[in-house]
Amino acid sequence: MPVRNFEPLNPATDITNTRTFLHEVLPITGAIVSGTYNDENIKNYSHGMFQSVYDYPYLSSSANHIFDISMGYDENSPHSASSHTQNSKKINMYNEFSQLMLGFTGSANTVRQFESDLRLDGKGAMSGGVFFLSLGRLLTKDQIKKGSVQITLGTGSWADPFASTRTLYDAAAKVDGEGTNNTLGGDYGVLYTSSLDPATVGGAGLGIVFYQSGLVVLTASAFSNLDSEGDPIGLAADIVDFNSGSILSGTKPTGLTLERSLMSASISGNCDALRHRLLNVQFNNTTEINSTIYFCRAPHNKFNYSANPTYLNNSKIRVKNVASDDPVAYITTVGLYNGAHELLAVAKLSEPLRKDPQNELTVRVRLDY
Amino acid sequence: MSVRKFGKNDVIHNTIRANPKAQFFVYDGNIFYNNDPQQSGAFSPNILDIDSGISLYEYNIDRTRDLYVTVNPNSHVSLGKNPIIYPFLSKDSTRASIASAGPMDAAAFNGAFRYGDILTASYPQSGTITREYIPQPSQSLNIHYYSLKNTLNFYGVKSEHYLISSSYGNKNFQPLNLIHIPSLFYGTQIKPGTVNLKWYLTGSLIGELRDSKENGELIQVGPAGSTESGSVAGVVLYDEGFVLLTGSWNLSHLTIGLSSSGVATTPKWTNWGAGAESMLASNPSGGPSAKLTQGNAGSTLVSASFDMSFRGVTRTQVLTMYARAGRGEVNYSSNPTFLKYGQEPLRLTSSHIYEENPNRLIANTVSSSYGDSDYSASFKRQVYISKIAVYDINKNLVGVATLASPVKKEEAEQIAFKIKLDL
Repeated sequence: MPVRNFEPLNPATDITNTRTFLHEVLPITGAIVSGTYNDENIKNYSHGMFQSVYDYPYLSSSANHIFDISMGYDENSPHSASSHTQNSKKINMYNEFSQLMLGFTGSANTVRQFESDLRLDGKGAMSGGVFFLSLGRLLTKDQIKKGSVQITLGTGSWADPFASTRTLYDAAAKVDGEGTNNTLGGDYGVLYTSSLDPATVGGAGLGIVFYQSGLVVLTASAFSNLDSEGDPIGLAADIVDFNSGSILSGTKPTGLTLERSLMSASISGNCDALRHRLLNVQFNNTTEINSTIYFCRAPHNKFNYSANPTYLNNSKIRVKNVASDDPVAYITTVGLYNGAHELLAVAKLSEPLRKDPQNELTVRVRLDY
Repeated sequence: MSVRKFGKNDVIHNTIRANPKAQFFVYDGNIFYNNDPQQSGAFSPNILDIDSGISLYEYNIDRTRDLYVTVNPNSHVSLGKNPIIYPFLSKDSTRASIASAGPMDAAAFNGAFRYGDILTASYPQSGTITREYIPQPSQSLNIHYYSLKNTLNFYGVKSEHYLISSSYGNKNFQPLNLIHIPSLFYGTQIKPGTVNLKWYLTGSLIGELRDSKENGELIQVGPAGSTESGSVAGVVLYDEGFVLLTGSWNLSHLTIGLSSSGVATTPKWTNWGAGAESMLASNPSGGPSAKLTQGNAGSTLVSASFDMSFRGVTRTQVLTMYARAGRGEVNYSSNPTFLKYGQEPLRLTSSHIYEENPNRLIANTVSSSYGDSDYSASFKRQVYISKIAVYDINKNLVGVATLASPVKKEEAEQIAFKIKLDL
């Protein structure tokens, strides 16, 4: 075992902490969300309250869960009626998410409603019908990078959904937190129809994204026609056949508009329709890497000798030829010890460093965790 | 939220020692790990997109390897595409780089990138065994062999076959077959006595090695009656993850293409694993072993197939904590739904006084056998426990255990939750 020279670390000058943000680019195209695997990568549950999307048929052990989809509306929504399909479950899903993300308000502790802005003042509530995309922790890691979310929706007919598209951006959100608001569910930003700063170009918020929770809430109006100001005209003026199939209007079969789909189709049926119209979801995630950096200093008069058995040959230092020469050592390893001289960690150098009384070294040891 | 201390018998530390099995089969330049087949997908002929072994992240499943395709929202360019996930970071003063981007010295890091530049890497990354054939160790100055010389001599006390120079020959002048095994496949060490290598020619076993003495010697044990049975064909470095084969006797009189020169040769242990080479970049002096394919070794390479199996040793530290909810304890919740809906939360509030309503009632969650709408059940105090939080001595939250489904706790019940944490 080589000799151990202890050199105390001064916490004030020799130790510092840093944080690095590692990101990943995550493209989720419509190709894997709908169509490619004959829905073998979509898992529906008997409770019918949400469906899970995998990146490969989920019976394969290689498949990764990428997100869950659900939908719902507030109990005071015009779409809420006991005769509507899965009415109570749709209300429950809405309240479940809004309770977790936004919490309660008022003296009666009522559940907050999602709003298409950052104000949480009760105006601009997204209560008439929303879709939830709950992105997997595998993809979002520590959090979604603010300002990187882009969702492209198909607003064409059922047969050709991407004949026209609409892309939503969290254009106002900045990494430093500007353009976001903080609630129970963490920071959230608004999804706008333009990638430019909404303060300049205007445009309505058609959804919100919770960065730490990895939740996207899309208002059903995201599929509606927009007026000249960029605001949704209303669900009545939406796509004629938002969903597949039809219902009877009187005695006449009528296509499932978005409004009819919210009311008459099941949660999974609406999720299927959303997947059919999801052209692209892309964002960058963030992993925070915390590091402690130890500056391990080897002064000129220390660490010039080694107790490695190969250091000596016939009691003479191998790496010097003349007796009067300075001693020389080659540093290969730095050990980090605690106050009780117990070895806690070992840092290996990629190549040995020559050390003699003529030089001083500072080895920068970074510990990531 | 109620905070309770763990008792002296509530926190247990254990070590689980496991011996995971690893098996590799080498055939025609392909390495199959644990007989896993290659799965084809809709976008890629191999959904893991790796040549062999283990995909380290198993992240880009069935994706196309084109680096990221920028999606134009107004066109259909993303239809039918499935581009890969890749990591990046921006250069800043922490001097962080991405290791998978390759070794980068300070000069390259400082000179090639400006602050704010994006450094990218790519998935998937994989791990597998690698074969390195060293025909003339002393002349090639192969750095992998030279870095192992001290280690080999160190284990000379276990068996003379480890020694560089011994009565069995001098490894400096012997053709060597070095098999690299990443610790990913074995953990702490390869378990002695579990290593098994097989050499197949046209599907028939022509040689089998085992470390049956558990001292690292790989002894030929098969096929039954083979002339060299009992001979030592190499050694295993259990802690370091290497197999060094030196056996140069003929295992068959037939000749097949086993070298990059294309010259047919007889099967030997020094040819074991032909086709499992990779371009070992960190071998500037010795030059990397060329990857053997039918193109350079000849079509008879497909006559050879190789098998290696062993068990690893892994030690997993496990922290077990028993969180106990005793009788009459943990029977209140601060969840707003725990109280009856619609009660006035405050009794008095003014600029001087803030007084909560002390008469609020707890919601009765006891299920009635007759249907709650007709005859509600008598009130009993009960809670549903959904999460257990673990705090350190300074009451910093250090972990949260979430139950698969909430557990009902009545006042007279006592429950112990077993929380396990693999470290």
